Amino acid sequence: MLSIPLKYNWRNLFVRKITTGLTVLGIGLVVAVFLCVMALGEGLSRVFTASGSDQNVLVLRQNSQSELQSGIGRDQVPIIETLPGIAKDTDGKPLASPELVVVVNLEKQGGGSSNVTIRGVGEKAMKLRPTFDMEKGRMFTPGKSEVVVSKSVSRRFASCDVGQTIRFGAYRWTVVGLFDAGGTAPDSEIWTDVEGMAADFKRNGYSSVLARTTDRAGRDQFLAGLAGDPRLALEGKIERKYYDEQTSTAAPIKFLGVFVGVVMAIGACFGAMNTMYAAVSARTREIATLRALGFGRLSIMASFVLESVVLALLGGLLGCVLGALAVKLALSGVTGTTNFATFSEVVFAFRLTPELLGTGMVFSLVMGFFGGVFPAGRAAFTKITNALRQVG
Amino acid sequence: MKYLPLVAKNLFRKKTRSGLTVGSILLPFFVICILGTLLATLDADPSGGAGMYRIAVRHKVSIANFLPATHVEKIRQMPGVKGATPFNWFGGQYVDFSSFNIFQRFGVDPEVLLDVFDEAKIVEGSAEEWKRDRSAALVGRLLTRKYGWRLGQRVTLKGDIWPGTYEFTIRAIYEGQDESILFFHQKLLDERFPARGGRTTNIWIKADSAAAVERLIPAINAQFENSPWPVRAETEKEFQNSFIGLLGNVKLLVKSLAVIIALVILLIAGNTMAMAARERVTEIAVLRAIGYTKRTILGLMLAESLLLALTGGAAGVLVYVALLPKLKAVLLYSPLAGFAAGIRLFPEVLATAFVTTLAVGLLAGLVPAIRSARRPIVDGLRQVA
Repeated sequence: MLSIPLKYNWRNLFVRKITTGLTVLGIGLVVAVFLCVMALGEGLSRVFTASGSDQNVLVLRQNSQSELQSGIGRDQVPIIETLPGIAKDTDGKPLASPELVVVVNLEKQGGGSSNVTIRGVGEKAMKLRPTFDMEKGRMFTPGKSEVVVSKSVSRRFASCDVGQTIRFGAYRWTVVGLFDAGGTAPDSEIWTDVEGMAADFKRNGYSSVLARTTDRAGRDQFLAGLAGDPRLALEGKIERKYYDEQTSTAAPIKFLGVFVGVVMAIGACFGAMNTMYAAVSARTREIATLRALGFGRLSIMASFVLESVVLALLGGLLGCVLGALAVKLALSGVTGTTNFATFSEVVFAFRLTPELLGTGMVFSLVMGFFGGVFPAGRAAFTKITNALRQVG
Repeated sequence: MKYLPLVAKNLFRKKTRSGLTVGSILLPFFVICILGTLLATLDADPSGGAGMYRIAVRHKVSIANFLPATHVEKIRQMPGVKGATPFNWFGGQYVDFSSFNIFQRFGVDPEVLLDVFDEAKIVEGSAEEWKRDRSAALVGRLLTRKYGWRLGQRVTLKGDIWPGTYEFTIRAIYEGQDESILFFHQKLLDERFPARGGRTTNIWIKADSAAAVERLIPAINAQFENSPWPVRAETEKEFQNSFIGLLGNVKLLVKSLAVIIALVILLIAGNTMAMAARERVTEIAVLRAIGYTKRTILGLMLAESLLLALTGGAAGVLVYVALLPKLKAVLLYSPLAGFAAGIRLFPEVLATAFVTTLAVGLLAGLVPAIRSARRPIVDGLRQVA
């Protein structure tokens, strides 16, 4: 089969600069919209997929969806801490942190309010979360109504910087430090001492216990020990799995992204088809000449589909650039939405991954193919004699 | 008006192109309508603006803290209060934690609930049976459709905040604003957990009048200011808004999406008009030569573009109106189920769609129309297509 050189299509695209430009821009915008929404969903799921360790076990009351719904009695903690399989710290104490989770409504910077998780933690909490890092100031002193706030929360909420005082209800807590947890769950939280917090909120128990296990065998032993003690009515969840389950928070946004993306892509596909039909009808004589010269139907068809795909790929590239620019420039800050499993805010950043960019390109490729295949068919089945006779 | 046939003839001269353009305007329009509906659903006043005189009370610290049952009793004695019920978030699990099986469950006072939400209608079963049976459940119409529940059927929930297994019997089905809630007797929890003192996450109040609402809100806040459980009382609308506030920038995101999509439509329509204008250069020159003024040419091109946008827009709105009930049914099973319950046909969405259509039609035609009208006649006649 004799194939028509690619150069023919490439140059044709530039003959009709405005039409090509508008179509490329249209496809580009559709791809950019799709990428931005998906980057939002991706950033949100990333918080959950990056959180938690396989070696940590989160102990909750049976059937609890999240720590907020869970409750653990004071007397149960020593039993949990002496279960086999739990790892010991260098000081010989078990690596476990009883924690209390309370949601408080705080003022946002620039108006409005949202719920934030306050976590009371035991002394081993930081050792259980290796990504936790103090950025500014110092750690809280137990028993002194002091808190440390994540850098991201401090940026989004009022009076959350070092030296300021957070008020909720009758409580007054001084911020003594800012921490960073590398984009994981604690980045949406405020931390304080668990005993002081239990006293302040009049709670006589904990929400959960986070424990480090020695290894895989130790973990299984620990989980079995929890499940095997009916007095406890507790269950252990591998910490990573616990956070993975909350990834569904991002599902509505991803669903919206795919829905809008697909419907818009069909629309943009029609637009590309329009451009290609115009290209074909303007070149009827040219096509007939090519046929008369001996190019087969298949080569003509391939040539036009190719032209359309190139058109769409240009759009896809533009879309990726626009999307990347939008995420880099306009959407670079942290944003937040509510995780309805815990009724509190998750702070996250837009995340445009190479996979997403790849999806965007595939998306534009599909648009180009379907936009080109029908006009190409018309071109291929042009009757040579009629077309050559056509005037203008 | 006399030019209308000419405009219409021009528009449908290239049938494939017009069809495709209408299609490529229709689909984005459809998306704009749906995004608009999402926004309108978020903004909708739950009382339908009718002024239901309702007040919601929660713990001052946040929605996730508890209030004691004694608060309900104290509120009931305040002047202007018609009724007050605990409204206790149960949490828990139905079958599993998948998004399909998530709906709201509240423990309430069955004697008062239907007085507070007096616009809700019992459509199957009866209020008496729901009040009489200790293990009764009152469920929304939407839930019965979604899960295929019938009257008398048993529904099992597993508790987390309130540990244990609970079996309820559906004694009544209601229709109302939010038909995706399961209500049960709060007493059931109070009996299982006497040490918790009948605690509840919220209290809902029905007041006598609008004036009573205004008086009651500061009065309730003041009443519990120095108790161990300070509260925040707010109107139904404010309460709902605080939930939307929790979603963060979702509204801004949806709005920006809609604007970009409108821009895409503009590009597509503009492209078609540019193609049409380019093909007709000679023709327009002939029209000018036989006496059509620049203004008439401008008007003709703009009218064509407007007609094109209107056809696409109208088709989009028609598809949207026709598909809305189906779409709602589908969305109820999607991750967007939380919004889907409130979806209905909002007139403001249709109005916005119409205005967008007009704007797109005029803007898309502007550049090609001006260029066509301005081109000198001789140039146009000389042009070889």
